[in-house]
Amino acid sequence: MARATDAAPHGTADVAIVGGGIMGCSVALRLAEAGMRVVVIDRGGIGGGASGVNAGTLSLQIKRLSLMPYAIRAAEHWAEMSARLGADVKFRQSGGLNLAFTEAEEAQLVTDMTARREAGLPISFLDLPAARAREPGLSDHVRRASFCPLDGYSNPSLTGRAFRKALTARGVAMIEHDPVLGIEAGDGGYTLRLQSGNVRARRLVLAAGAWTRASVLQLGVDLPIGARVNQMMVTERAPALMNGVLGHISGLMSLKQSDNGTIIIGGGWQGEGAVGEPGRPVMDNLTNNLRFATLAMPALAPLRIVRTWYGYDGFVPDFLPVVGVLPWLREAYVIACVRGGYTIGPCMGDLLAASILGEEPALPLFDPARVATRVNTPVPA
Amino acid sequence: MRIAAGVERGPAVTFSVDGVAVAGHIGETVGAALLAAGWRDLRSGPGGGGRGMFCAIGVCQECVVMADGVVREACRLPVRDGLVITTRRLRDVR
Amino acid sequence: MCADLTADLVVLGGGPAGGHAALAASGAGLDVVLVDEGAAPGGQVWRAPGVAVSNHAALGPDHRAGEALRAALTASKVRVLAGHRAWLLQAGFTVHAAAADGAARLQAPALLLAPGTTERVIPFPGWTLPGVMGLAGATALLKGNRMLPGRKVVVAGAGPLLVAVAASILKGGGTVAAVVDLGSMPEWLRGVPAMLGRPDLILRGLGWRALLLRHGVPYLTRHAVLRAEGDNGVASVTVAPVDGDGAFEPGGNARRFEVDALLVGHGLVPASEAARSLGARHLHVPALGGWVPELDGLGRSSIAGLYIAGDGAGVRGAAAAALAGAQAGLAVAHDLGRIDAARHTAEQAPLAARVARAARFGRAMAALVRIRPGLIAAIPPEATICRCEDVTRAEIEAAFDEGARQIGQLKAWTRCGMGPCQGRFCGPTIEALAAQRGIAAEAFGPMVARPPLRPMPIGTLTGDFDPAALTLPPSLPSS
Ligand SMILES: Cc1cc2nc3c(=O)[nH]c(=O)nc-3n(C[C@H](O)[C@H](O)[C@H](O)COP(=O)(O)OP(=O)(O)OC[C@H]3O[C@@H](n4cnc5c(N)ncnc54)[C@H](O)[C@@H]3O)c2cc1C
Ligand SMILES: Cc1cc2nc3c(=O)[nH]c(=O)nc-3n(C[C@H](O)[C@H](O)[C@H](O)COP(=O)(O)OP(=O)(O)OC[C@H]3O[C@@H](n4cnc5c(N)ncnc54)[C@H](O)[C@@H]3O)c2cc1C
Ligand code: FES
Repeated sequence: MARATDAAPHGTADVAIVGGGIMGCSVALRLAEAGMRVVVIDRGGIGGGASGVNAGTLSLQIKRLSLMPYAIRAAEHWAEMSARLGADVKFRQSGGLNLAFTEAEEAQLVTDMTARREAGLPISFLDLPAARAREPGLSDHVRRASFCPLDGYSNPSLTGRAFRKALTARGVAMIEHDPVLGIEAGDGGYTLRLQSGNVRARRLVLAAGAWTRASVLQLGVDLPIGARVNQMMVTERAPALMNGVLGHISGLMSLKQSDNGTIIIGGGWQGEGAVGEPGRPVMDNLTNNLRFATLAMPALAPLRIVRTWYGYDGFVPDFLPVVGVLPWLREAYVIACVRGGYTIGPCMGDLLAASILGEEPALPLFDPARVATRVNTPVPA
Repeated sequence: MRIAAGVERGPAVTFSVDGVAVAGHIGETVGAALLAAGWRDLRSGPGGGGRGMFCAIGVCQECVVMADGVVREACRLPVRDGLVITTRRLRDVR
Repeated sequence: MCADLTADLVVLGGGPAGGHAALAASGAGLDVVLVDEGAAPGGQVWRAPGVAVSNHAALGPDHRAGEALRAALTASKVRVLAGHRAWLLQAGFTVHAAAADGAARLQAPALLLAPGTTERVIPFPGWTLPGVMGLAGATALLKGNRMLPGRKVVVAGAGPLLVAVAASILKGGGTVAAVVDLGSMPEWLRGVPAMLGRPDLILRGLGWRALLLRHGVPYLTRHAVLRAEGDNGVASVTVAPVDGDGAFEPGGNARRFEVDALLVGHGLVPASEAARSLGARHLHVPALGGWVPELDGLGRSSIAGLYIAGDGAGVRGAAAAALAGAQAGLAVAHDLGRIDAARHTAEQAPLAARVARAARFGRAMAALVRIRPGLIAAIPPEATICRCEDVTRAEIEAAFDEGARQIGQLKAWTRCGMGPCQGRFCGPTIEALAAQRGIAAEAFGPMVARPPLRPMPIGTLTGDFDPAALTLPPSLPSS
């Protein structure tokens, strides 16, 4: 019997991907289609991290201005997602509204959304009656709204199941419920230590979401990744109340009604917890997310919350993505900290995969070197 | 069916369910009073099938109705005179 | 309106366990708040009747025990907060509770959970029909409302509640078409040695049996419900013989009964959500009903200051629950420094022996309601497993076939457990289906427990508020 410490019962792959979220899976999909032998490793089930628990809002207008080209590309990926994966992820291009309640917010809405329009995103401005024509439940608090027809949503709960199916069909090996405990750089590539044994691969992609910092540290590199604790809530099934996704210019609102009638409520008031432990609610913040939601949609008040949950969203201080080659290492890549990463993930994954395949990515990556530091002895290159 | 022996029911009240008048007694729950009236089907499940009281202790949520505009468990909601109940049918959920 | 209360101890659940915990702690000098969603303390077995009862004697010992508990609580310094539903528990401890007309926030350095159980019902075709009700649930109707669940009923499932419920229905003037018991006479007899410690309960059980005999009610042992049928509600129940594992006997003689209610239950499951939502360590112990907290002998959990007692910590029955509650209540008083070690030891001493005997009886009863793999295997593919979301066995099995290995995956992929009962009714069945595939309960995991502990209306949570007073946290960069 092979000893877990020195043998590689899982064999040697062209690429090992740590983390089976939307980032890791998108990279894996493209690399496998290009003929690489890929293994995806997740300490839980594929798609069980942020990619499986996020709000599922695929809103383009709420993305950072600097990410507009990526968001617009990502929308094309989403339009084909179910067909590409061979499984329905319930993508709906519902269109979405971004709201302003106050005069100051209205001014900001106009500035920010005009800039996005100039960046190529179709956006129109609606007064309250026009906004109500799209979303009849809106309250009198709404002064103005921006509308983007490309906004939509999908069902993140199905991410794991759908990607598993697609990756299986493309011959990608998946090792689930098995955390990567250690990574070593060697001559011919990398050795990953798992509970079930070792995995060897020529190239390495770290796509461990909010947990990426720990993986990168194993290679002697530090990325200053922090994590936000997003709180989510969902109601029981409700009569048809909403048509599309709803946000607020502050970025603090996330509201939509899913196909099954439940209303998914996110929001910018955070929960608490540290990566690696279950997140916890902060009572006042939970309440504020609900208050803010009812400010937009008063008809939510009688509905009952049946579940709350919490997810970790990684970020670096500049809140820009970290996607590209890890410095000081050979053929090690990282893809993390993409704000609105569920929306943009498929595009980012595709771009990174192109770069791994030696192609020129269609849009620039986000060099990890800008935030990386070396923490101990250099790993042989 | 109300058990008669050894019980003194509270004052009689009338409440309405989907516009139909139903009799009950103070101290009874809406679910129980409806059962006494032969009314078992309280709502529809997501697939459209009828549902009635199941756990009778406020956990399963099979008995929920709209009471004066609020979602309440019929098995725990006390009857009172003039209470207006509507059942939640498939047409009411998306 | 939000009431803010602070105390030495908050007790969640006013059944035998919580009620006696509160009394013991209060007796030892603690300031105790007892919160229960029921209109009055008593819990399930000692439920307070909602309707006025003119003949208390006729209601039997459970009713009297409940009246005694309620009287003792009234006479004590315990502050009882009835009609309040706890929905969010926070470390330290804060209990957020909501009532029909307001909310309450309870704070204390110690929290004692005594939330009791929910019923386990193994699915069969037709179990979602109106008129099909839990066996334990039927007792709630009978006790709380003095109401028969139907005029003519089949009583089915397993365990001691079968005869108790059938007898109550007969006494109330209803008809019992049949009692359908998964167990056999030899299985009942195996429990007798453990029952000898409780002659009162044996006598009561025999009395019920005699009543069934007098009414000529067929008592079908080693039988189970094959299906329930009807248009707008249950109209008939078909039952058939099973083997000791609960598997239907091939070619067994099926029998059909015309009824207007079917009362069916296969045991109780500890309500571990509250404790798990706080992160208390749990173990899977089938003999105690499923996931139970890791406790020392006096109800102390893996979290300092958090105590758990009663059937919510493992199904052992009402008598054991009351004693365990008293034990835990005293332990809190000791741990908070209100009674010294000597007094604590002296007061605990008489409880320990009694609780062991009571628990022995409870365990004998639990053996009767063990999950029978044959009955799980017999659930047909088209049968609904998750009632809230209408998820069938076939859909669950397809997810397993595709590689789901944890309850979270099952939930995400099929929506089972995502409805308003929060997985309390499908969870145990799905766990049993996983077990049939050789997936250990520990690896499969329990349904994650997170607030709210019960569905909560948004309006109750937001309360009335001034929009202008809502301060927004800083936004992330937008450019
Ligand atoms: C609650 C919430 C709501 C959100 N809402 C939205 C939204 O509406 N729209 C939107 O576009 N974005 C949203 N986001 C952001 C989005 O979900 C994330 O940006 C995106 O899913 C990140 O994908 P990922 O693949 O990088 O990370 P993840 O999906 O977290 O995947 C990382 C994976 O790595 C695995 N892993 C970690 N460490 C190890 C290890 N040592 N060994 C093996 N495996 C490991 C984890 O188990 C996990 O599965 C939200 C995020 C959260 C938390
Ligand atoms: C429906 C039902 C009926 C039963 N009937 C019988 C019977 O007739 N005979 C018998 O021997 N055994 C019966 N049992 C078994 C019962 O579990 C025990 O016999 C006994 O009641 C256990 O006592 P306990 O104090 O541990 O829990 P319980 O008596 O169940 O008390 C728990 C209390 O906690 C309260 N509670 C739970 N969660 C919350 C919350 N989030 N907020 C506020 N309050 C909460 C409940 O309202 C309840 O009053 C029944 C069980 C059930 C589920
Ligand atoms: S019958 Fe279960 S909640 Fe009312």
